[in-house]
Amino acid sequence: MSSTDHSPPDASRPYDGVRVLELAEGISGPYAGRWLAALGADVIKVERTSGDPSRAFGPWPNDQPDDETSGLFLYLNGDKRSVTLNLDTSDGREILRDLAQSAEIVIESFPPGYLAERDLDYAALSADNSSLVMISITPFGQTGPNADLPATELTLYAASGQMWLTGHPDRQPLKNGGSQPSYQAGLNAFSAVSSAYFGAIMHGQGSYIDLSVQETYAGMAEAYHTRASQLGIESQRSGNNLHATWGLYELADGYGGVCLLPRNYPPFAQAVGLPELQEDRFADAGQRLSNNDELMAILYGWFIGQTRDDLLELGIANRVPFGFVATFEDLANSEHLRSRDFFADRDDAAAGSLTYPGRLWLSSAHEWKMGAAPKLGQHNVDVIHGELGYEREDLVRLRELDAI
Amino acid sequence: MTFDPGRPLSGVRVADLTMIWAGPYAAKILADLGADVIKIESPRAWDNIRTLIPPPVAPGERWWNTNFYFHEYSRNKRSLSLDLASDSGRSVFAQLLPHCDVVIENYRTDVMDNLGLTYEWLREQREDIIVVGMAGFGKTGPEKDAVGYGPIIEMMSGMTSTSGYGDDGVPYKSGISYGDPIAGIAASAAVSTALIHRQRTGQGQYIDLAQREVMSTLLGEFYMDWSMNRRLPEHMGTDHDWMAPHNVYRCAGADDGDDWIAICVRSDAEWAGLKRAMGSPDWAERDDFSDQILRWEHRAELDELVGSWTSEHSKTDIFAALHAERVPSSPVWKMLEMMHEPHLKARGFYEPLRHPEVGIWQVHGWLWRADGAGPCVVAPAPDFGAHNEEILGGLLGLSRTEQDALAAEGVIADRPANTSPASEFPATPSLL
Repeated sequence: MSSTDHSPPDASRPYDGVRVLELAEGISGPYAGRWLAALGADVIKVERTSGDPSRAFGPWPNDQPDDETSGLFLYLNGDKRSVTLNLDTSDGREILRDLAQSAEIVIESFPPGYLAERDLDYAALSADNSSLVMISITPFGQTGPNADLPATELTLYAASGQMWLTGHPDRQPLKNGGSQPSYQAGLNAFSAVSSAYFGAIMHGQGSYIDLSVQETYAGMAEAYHTRASQLGIESQRSGNNLHATWGLYELADGYGGVCLLPRNYPPFAQAVGLPELQEDRFADAGQRLSNNDELMAILYGWFIGQTRDDLLELGIANRVPFGFVATFEDLANSEHLRSRDFFADRDDAAAGSLTYPGRLWLSSAHEWKMGAAPKLGQHNVDVIHGELGYEREDLVRLRELDAI
Repeated sequence: MTFDPGRPLSGVRVADLTMIWAGPYAAKILADLGADVIKIESPRAWDNIRTLIPPPVAPGERWWNTNFYFHEYSRNKRSLSLDLASDSGRSVFAQLLPHCDVVIENYRTDVMDNLGLTYEWLREQREDIIVVGMAGFGKTGPEKDAVGYGPIIEMMSGMTSTSGYGDDGVPYKSGISYGDPIAGIAASAAVSTALIHRQRTGQGQYIDLAQREVMSTLLGEFYMDWSMNRRLPEHMGTDHDWMAPHNVYRCAGADDGDDWIAICVRSDAEWAGLKRAMGSPDWAERDDFSDQILRWEHRAELDELVGSWTSEHSKTDIFAALHAERVPSSPVWKMLEMMHEPHLKARGFYEPLRHPEVGIWQVHGWLWRADGAGPCVVAPAPDFGAHNEEILGGLLGLSRTEQDALAAEGVIADRPANTSPASEFPATPSLL
């Protein structure tokens, strides 16, 4: 068996039987919970009685807003169970404490202090469950002068230093599309809880983790921040081209580009085939930087004659880091991604036919679940009556009290 | 052993074969979390990041140990030099593997198999080994042999198609090689998940983590819009589809004329707060700006008016005023400013890294902090081969004579072969 041939021997998943309480809304916490659920965890999504606000974010089929068909919500909440709880009622808080007794992991994204005010913080929830792992995901963390500051994707992009580096040097700083601060925080949160849960298994002791979106995002400022601190040099926005052989160019049918470390230049020059690329003025990295404008002009002329497919093939054939700006249409139809079972292709009862990323990596030990997201409060009866033992009459009373 | 909540992976040993960024970022996270990460480099083919940029001080005797880029991704690790392409190097690796829980690599798809380091061979050395391969496009499929660094991954994942100013049709890449750290974080989660699985089942596993695929998972709503409406994203610049104001505005007071602040208003209450911070100008009372929808419809004019206010004040003064009014805002912090940003400073986000030849500088510490954790950065990146004796002699029990033989053969070394500062990096330090 080579490293490229490995099929899962059985269906058991790494988080089978692990209970996760997801007290998180929007993108970051639910993104982390989504992968735990796909890997077998029983993720109970505890929603406010009006639901996770992301249920009201699009996109929707035909742009028709509908609580059950938000594309963002469906993407982030597959394979979870939904329970509604009003934590401003003592019954709601009591049910949450009951649930926490049986939980291994809690993911929460309330503003700092919110849970402590309700006696639902880590100290309270772990009092009789010392191996509990709990993570708080907030824009700026639990402490410090900005802890209570409201934030958006744009302000977090600015606060992390990422924005200073992005965009054209002669124009204003630019933001990535989508919600990258929240998504990357969710990915960090997944790593945080998985490592902490491993620690809990090994040592029988849980932990409480304070994750700041600003910090996880600032931590990936490449070497730019450490360059500033070691050498005292400020970095500038470099637009689409850090230099001639690191960046984007217009192609015959779109955009693409190349990224070369010095050792990649010889095969690149060979693959492109223009004799001037072999001249002395481009012989090493220093020469190429000194003659950067000339090199860019040559490459601009070459790239504009390439198609996206040609460029990728040339890269594969010559082991040169070429790529093109792929669209979601390209990706959803990609033979390569399809051959790797990357997508969840699901016919959703309410939203119709959907295609979206269904896993993070391929494992020789297990597959990933790619199931539906729950309706609001869909599992109230199963969980509160069936598992916690509240009577059906209690449920009616709780509903009347607006506790669920 | 007392449990250190910051280091849940203590007791786990990782053979780190990664290079450049994505892989080393993953291994750095594992090292920060307490794993014993042994960075393995061949004397003939070492991690290029050592020589990608000039050393911070005059190239000294061992200049390949000193640049900030290398330290950024290899602090808290140990260094073993070992040529895995040689028979004796492979034999030493075979002796090391029973002591390792994890092997992680981000080589081109074919390299491990070419070296004879197949999953099958690795399992023969340790049956429950966890192997993580981080090739850009994965180990299978028609594009498996494509290669790429972060921006290529970003382009091929759909990410770059979402970003741009909107007025010129040009897609923009991130300012960093965003694909790399994203893949690194995912790989760290993969390792912890596989350790959990092994603890429960006794089984190791092979993980095929394609950097492009990880990046694509951060774009779910765009896939959904394509599925539902066959619509591709428009470039929105710094606009938002319902918030206004929602932009970056130029501020006064910068030496380089390049100071900016991001301001976003999500509600009438935040609009009232912004108006107070601006000193309640008359124009803000116009009917055009009286509710969220009207403000959004007139956002171009609104941006100009807000921008004329910000152009008269420093970004820190504006931020203080908006913070007091609880309006979402942040200065666009520059790299030199990040180290002194009061909030990060109060939280101790940056920690000192001490190197005997270079001195002290600041690097980021905990990406997330467990309650009760001590400092994150406990050691600089190791000198090339610094732990050869400790690992070969101490852990594997190789005699002095055996180690000398390996050194004579060039399989281990205390310096990379074939390095010369003059030819390795450009004369100007502007590669980054």
